[in-house]
Amino acid sequence: MRLTVNAQEHDLIVAGHDTLLSALRDQLELTGTKLGCGRGECGACSVLVDGRLTYSCLTLAAGCEGQSITTVEGLGQPGALHPLQRAFIELDALQCGFCTPGQLMAAAALLATNDQPTAQEIRSAMSGNLCRCGTYPKLARAVESAATALRARTSEGRSDAS
Amino acid sequence: MPRKPKESAAKAQPHPRKRFVTTKVEVEGREELKIVELPDIEPTPWDEDAQLTIVGTRAIRADALEKVTGRAKYTADLHRPAMLHAAFLRAPVASGRVVRLDLTRALALAGVRGALVASDVPGIKHMGAPLFDTAIHWAGQPLAALCADTPELARQACALVDLDVETLPHAVTVAAALAPDAPRVKPHGNIPRNQPRIATRGDADAAIAGADVTITRDYRTPCALHTPIEPHGSVAEWIGDDLTVWESTQGIFEVRSNIAQAFKLPLNRVRVMKDYMGGGFGAKNYAAANTFTAVALARKLGKPVRCILDREGEQTDTGNRAASSQRVTLAANRDGTLVAISAEVTVAYGYSGWYASPAKIYHEMYRCPNVSTRETFVFLNTGAMDSFRAPGHVEGAFALERAMDALAHELGIDPLELRRRNYAEVDEEKNRPYSAKHLDRCYSEGEARFNWTHRRVEAAATRTIGARFRRGVGMASQIWGAGGGPPAYATVRINPDGTIDVLTGAQDLGTGSRTIFAQIAAESLGARLADVRTVLGDTERTPYAGNSWGSITTASVGPAVRVAALQARAKVLEAAAELLDVDVSLLSLVGSVVSIAGDERTMTLAQVGRKLGEVMIMGQGSRGANPQDTAICAFAAQFAEVEVDVETGRVRVLHITSAHDSGRIINPTLAESQLEGGIIQGLGYALFEERVMDETLGLSLNANVHDYKIPVIGDVPVIDAFFVASSDVVANHTGARGIAEAPIIPTAPAIANAVADALGVDVGEIPLTPWRVLALLRR
Repeated sequence: MRLTVNAQEHDLIVAGHDTLLSALRDQLELTGTKLGCGRGECGACSVLVDGRLTYSCLTLAAGCEGQSITTVEGLGQPGALHPLQRAFIELDALQCGFCTPGQLMAAAALLATNDQPTAQEIRSAMSGNLCRCGTYPKLARAVESAATALRARTSEGRSDAS
Repeated sequence: MPRKPKESAAKAQPHPRKRFVTTKVEVEGREELKIVELPDIEPTPWDEDAQLTIVGTRAIRADALEKVTGRAKYTADLHRPAMLHAAFLRAPVASGRVVRLDLTRALALAGVRGALVASDVPGIKHMGAPLFDTAIHWAGQPLAALCADTPELARQACALVDLDVETLPHAVTVAAALAPDAPRVKPHGNIPRNQPRIATRGDADAAIAGADVTITRDYRTPCALHTPIEPHGSVAEWIGDDLTVWESTQGIFEVRSNIAQAFKLPLNRVRVMKDYMGGGFGAKNYAAANTFTAVALARKLGKPVRCILDREGEQTDTGNRAASSQRVTLAANRDGTLVAISAEVTVAYGYSGWYASPAKIYHEMYRCPNVSTRETFVFLNTGAMDSFRAPGHVEGAFALERAMDALAHELGIDPLELRRRNYAEVDEEKNRPYSAKHLDRCYSEGEARFNWTHRRVEAAATRTIGARFRRGVGMASQIWGAGGGPPAYATVRINPDGTIDVLTGAQDLGTGSRTIFAQIAAESLGARLADVRTVLGDTERTPYAGNSWGSITTASVGPAVRVAALQARAKVLEAAAELLDVDVSLLSLVGSVVSIAGDERTMTLAQVGRKLGEVMIMGQGSRGANPQDTAICAFAAQFAEVEVDVETGRVRVLHITSAHDSGRIINPTLAESQLEGGIIQGLGYALFEERVMDETLGLSLNANVHDYKIPVIGDVPVIDAFFVASSDVVANHTGARGIAEAPIIPTAPAIANAVADALGVDVGEIPLTPWRVLALLRR
């Protein structure tokens, strides 16, 4: 099958029962996406499938043919970080870091559809992602701060264009 | 231009004192006599007036970039060539005997490469029982491991094992284990031989009999599970006789020692590494079934083996905070002065584990001449108890601090005032001074920031007849041994390009130790923080440091890092003096630049390094002894406001103020992150977290993260967590004490006290799930 991950096309051989998570981690060695529970309960495996927040541990790889997958590696890399990644670093919105990629993807999915989320909308959108270190207060602040940065970037872009 | 005298013959400095001394070392309340290697230099302590420019700043977490880009490699992220995967077949009952375990069908499955049973791992123990024991002591106990090309195949192979089990009667609750005809969990009975454990000072019974006021209350706490989002896991690889193990662990040297002992290997043939790990909270201190299985299978099959627990295994077979019941009696004078504390404690211990004492805090928290506690740990057919963030104190603080509120209510005294009236100026348990104690400032600063009196009045105003949402306010205090201590070592190297490596065998669990060691080294050395990198978690590259547990890492390893950096600084300045041809006493080093008093010439560390070429500037540091007969503790006062929906029984925590005294704070941002995290874990313990056992089946009903509820972002209140400023130079020369465990201890009692305030009823049991709250309201 052909899987589009982070704007790159990959030809893979997958079994019918292979999850998107195992295709990403074991075949493409994109290990930023984590396995925490394997039952869609913890959110560590969150990725975007055609922009939609998806638990990759509950998604069959074969079903993603023709869809566009974004993982944390595709969100941004050193030198070209996503505003969310920058905000997570600056506001210390991570501790052990294991749930961080999933938190970032949940936040990215939120900001893609809502560039000015309220505190309640952030809490609601991020409640499917567990963090046992309890980094939640800083996660909430970082998402808010990244939203502000994204809006500033968009308005700059508009004024540049005009 | 000042020139140094030319005849600088190196003077041998005789060591002024003994290098090795015997000293008392204390971890989590347990004292041991140990030999300590004293450092070569005794640095001037960083007191409150010390002018520090890097220590104490909010430096960015050193590994944040790795973590937000997905590049940080955790144990399960490692791919070794030709690696195989292991999975466990686990006991389906709580007590029984394996009658038949036939691997034929499992091994016949294509892609299955091998298996392990008890006879493959003689003498190796897991959670107090022989690994793969044919006698079943708890549900979820490993009975065999299967190894295959993929984790899915390994799991599939487990399902193909023909297993016949003879089921025997079990006891998974204290009541069942103490019944007259109870099944024996251990051959000698269900209570350890040396129990109950009794600890007394003064005469509590006499004091209770003569007291103005006494109250007696019963409290119960649940069995809580660590639930790290990254499960336990190991990757083992043999190359010839050399074994490398990548382990998600809080203690690389401990795991190395466990492996060497289990497989009878020389320590220098075992390398244990841990770069990143996804949470431990006390569950990852030792080698366990996953470690031994990966090592044994890798040896047997001649290929690297990865063994990562699945979530059910993580929630049933990696330890827990045991449930407790505590009957507490407090006796006081009319003015609130405590005259006696007495407690009878029963711990639902499980099959084995770590004896964490809920009773200990009764002896430590308040000034009281008469204290008596009796503790009984009851063996059960459930998974082992293990250390879990402030083991024992979390359970004990819930009961003691609830009882203090009940006493305050009885006496009509403000709960905060009652605690102030019973302030312990010294450690009464061991009759010794504290290195420093600013709990009084935690009370006053917390009181002010929380607006205690005003909030109490406001909350009371919501409690009108017929009101659906009732607010309440509560507080609690805590104490926790947080002095750290020896042994711990660090090496600081200056590379030819002026960059600096700090090497120490500690772990960073997400606490920030990588970052703060770099800060301490940069400050001590006079280097730019950006040039310093900390290398942790490799028994082969780094000198010894102990487990990251017991809130010890900063206070144990930090001083060793400082000594190593100071030694490297002294050496690099001597080298620079030679290069500049000046006396070393004229040189200073700040921001990675060497300058000369009365001379405009300067050299950067990179310039010095280039001139020196391959000369290695290296400092070695060790952690000296703690002050003897001194208690070194972290203190905190915590304030909570809750809102209870009396129709649904739902408790919402609105606000937490948490004031901490942990000595000098190396990095306030990272320290506050730990406080917030501890508070949120405590909130889960107060409101949701509880392993539920089916008494008839003997099985856990919620061995997953859907039904075992940990807090999510939507549960989190406004948290104002902060430190009262201080530097504890009696404790050690950095002035820092531990942080990690302090914030979880007072959280549940502060919340429960607030719920009791909101409802006007006694709250004796957590977690305060809606049905428990509704039951309280029906009373």
